[in-house]
Amino acid sequence: MTVENNEPIYNELNSKFKLFSPSRVMAIAMNTFTQLVRMKVFYFLLIFSVLIIGANVLFLNFTFEQELKILQDVSFGAMTLFASIFSIVGTALLIPKDIEDRTLYSILTKPVPRFEYLIGKLLGILFLVAVSLVLMSILFFAVLFFRQHGILAEEINQMRGQPTAEQISSLKENIFAQGLRLELINGVVAVFLKAAVAAAIALVVSTFASSTLFTIIVSLVIYFIGHAQSMALDYYFPEGDMHGAFQRFIAGIVAIIFPNLQIFNVVDGIVSGQSVPMSLMFRLTGLTGFYLFIYSFVSWVLFAKKEL
Amino acid sequence: MSKDLPTAVQIKNLTKTFPVPFKKEKVVAVDNLSLSVMPGEVYGLIGPNGSGKSTTMKVLLGLISATSGSSTVFGMSSTETASRGSVGFLPENPYFYKYLTGAETIAFYGKLCGLKRKVIKERTSELLNLVELEGARDRRLAGYSKGMLQRIGLAQALVGRPKLVVLDEPTAGVDPAGSRKIRDLIMQLKDQGITVILSSHLLEQVQEVCDRVGIIFEGKLVREGSLKTLIEIEDQTEIVLENAGSDLLKKITDLINQENGVNLIRSGRPRTTLETLFLKETGGESKDVRNES
Repeated sequence: MTVENNEPIYNELNSKFKLFSPSRVMAIAMNTFTQLVRMKVFYFLLIFSVLIIGANVLFLNFTFEQELKILQDVSFGAMTLFASIFSIVGTALLIPKDIEDRTLYSILTKPVPRFEYLIGKLLGILFLVAVSLVLMSILFFAVLFFRQHGILAEEINQMRGQPTAEQISSLKENIFAQGLRLELINGVVAVFLKAAVAAAIALVVSTFASSTLFTIIVSLVIYFIGHAQSMALDYYFPEGDMHGAFQRFIAGIVAIIFPNLQIFNVVDGIVSGQSVPMSLMFRLTGLTGFYLFIYSFVSWVLFAKKEL
Repeated sequence: MSKDLPTAVQIKNLTKTFPVPFKKEKVVAVDNLSLSVMPGEVYGLIGPNGSGKSTTMKVLLGLISATSGSSTVFGMSSTETASRGSVGFLPENPYFYKYLTGAETIAFYGKLCGLKRKVIKERTSELLNLVELEGARDRRLAGYSKGMLQRIGLAQALVGRPKLVVLDEPTAGVDPAGSRKIRDLIMQLKDQGITVILSSHLLEQVQEVCDRVGIIFEGKLVREGSLKTLIEIEDQTEIVLENAGSDLLKKITDLINQENGVNLIRSGRPRTTLETLFLKETGGESKDVRNES
C-alpha cells in the first residue's frame, strides 16, 4: 500500500504539525501590523495632534469647564473615528487584497489552518488599533494635563488680591475634577472594545465579499445600523412586550447580525463627569469577547471551504 | 508503475466542477484525472490555458476541494493541513508582501513552517545565496524585478525543506537569463532528491528538466509517460558526427541508398537554440543540459 510505504514521512508530518500554533498566529498578526505600519497609517497622529491643539486654540474664550469638555469631546470623537476606520478599512483592505493578489496561496500552502490565518489577521488589526489608541491617549492626556495646569494658573491670575491656600486648593479640585482623571481610561477602553467589534464585523464580511470596496460599504452599513439597533428594537418590541418566543428569537438574531454598538458609547457620560461602574466595563468586555468569538467562528465557517 | 513503490503524489479519479452563476449546468475543469509522481522525480504538467493544470495543483495543495476523487501527498490526503508540511509552492506570477524585504519575506514563511528563530536566520542566508539574492536581502520586494520576485518565490517555497515542490509557471515573464537560473535551480532540487511538479508553457524547458510528463487537455490526462518515450520517433534513428568529411558522408549516404526501405530524411548541421545563442552573446552563464544528456 502506498500509505504504508510513505509511513515514515506520514508520521513525521503528523508529529510536526500542531492543530493550533500561537507562533504561527503571532507571525501573521505581526506581519499584518508591520504591513499597516509601513503603509504609514501612523501619519494620522499628525491629524489627531492638529485636532486637539486646534480644539485648545479655538475655544479659549469659553469657561474652563466648557474648554476641558470640548477638548475631551474632540479627542474621544477623533479616537473613536480613527479606531473605527482602522478596524473596518484595515480588515477590509488586507484580507480581500490577499485573495486578489493571491498572496493567500503562498500562506495557505504552508501548514497553516485557515482559522489561524483569520485570527492572525484580526489580532494584527486589533494590535494596531490598540497601539494607535495608546499613542493618541498619551497625546490627549499630555495636552489635557498641560491645559488643566494652564487653566489653573490663568484662574489664579484673574483672582483679585492674594488668594488663600484654601481658595487655590478648592479651585484646583474643581478644575482637576474635569481634567485628567482615571475615568478617562475607561473611555479609551470602551473605544477600543467598539473598534474590536467593528473589526470582527469586517472580518466576517471580507470572507464572502468579492472586493475591498464591498467589504467597507457593507461593514459600515452594519456599523451604523449597530448604533440604531437598540432604538429599533425598542420601537418594534416595546419593553414588556418581549415575552413571545418568536419575538425574542428575532431580537436575538438582529442583535447578532447588528451588534448594539450604542452600548459602547460611554464616553459621553465620562466627559460630562459621570462615573462608569466597573460592572458596565466588565459587561462591555464580555460582550466584545462574545462578538469576537461568534464573528470569528462565522468567518471560519465561511472561509474554511472557500474556493481560492 | 508498480503498486508497491511509494508515491510522492497520487491523484485518483479527480473531478472538479465549478457552478455557472444562474445556470444549472456546471463547468468541468478536471475530468476523472489520475496520475502518480514518484519521489525524486521531476514531473511536467503541460496543457493549453484553461486545460485544468492549475485546478489540479490547487486541489493537490488544498486550496480548493475535489468534487470527486482523491489526491494524496506522501500518502496523506491533501485535504489535511498537515500534508502541506512537506510541500513548497511557487504560484504563477507570485505576489508577496511588497513592504517586506527579501530576508523578512523568507523569515515570515519560515515562521509559518514552524521553524525556530535560529534556524530561520541560517535558512534565510542559505536560501538567499541559493537564489542569488544575497545582495538584495534588505531591499523591499516593491523594488524587485519580475525575475527576482520569482526567485524569492522559489526561496519561500523551499524554506521549510519540502520534499515536494510545486512550481506553477516559474519562468512566466522572466528574461532568458533569469529563466535559465530558475531552470538550474530546478536541476539542483532534482539532484537533492526533491520531487518537483512543474507546470509551464515553455515546452523546451519542460523537455530539458522533466523525467516524466503529463499532457492535460480539456480536463483530461491525454498522454503521460517518460519524456524519452513520449518524444521518441520510433521509426527514425539519429546519428550526430563530429569532424566528418564529405567523403565519409557520401559513403554513408550510398550505404543507406543500397538498403531497401531505408530513407535518408535529412542531413545537415545541427542548430543551437536561440536561448543558448542569446546567453552566449550576452555573457549569461549556464550549462546546456540538452547537450550534456
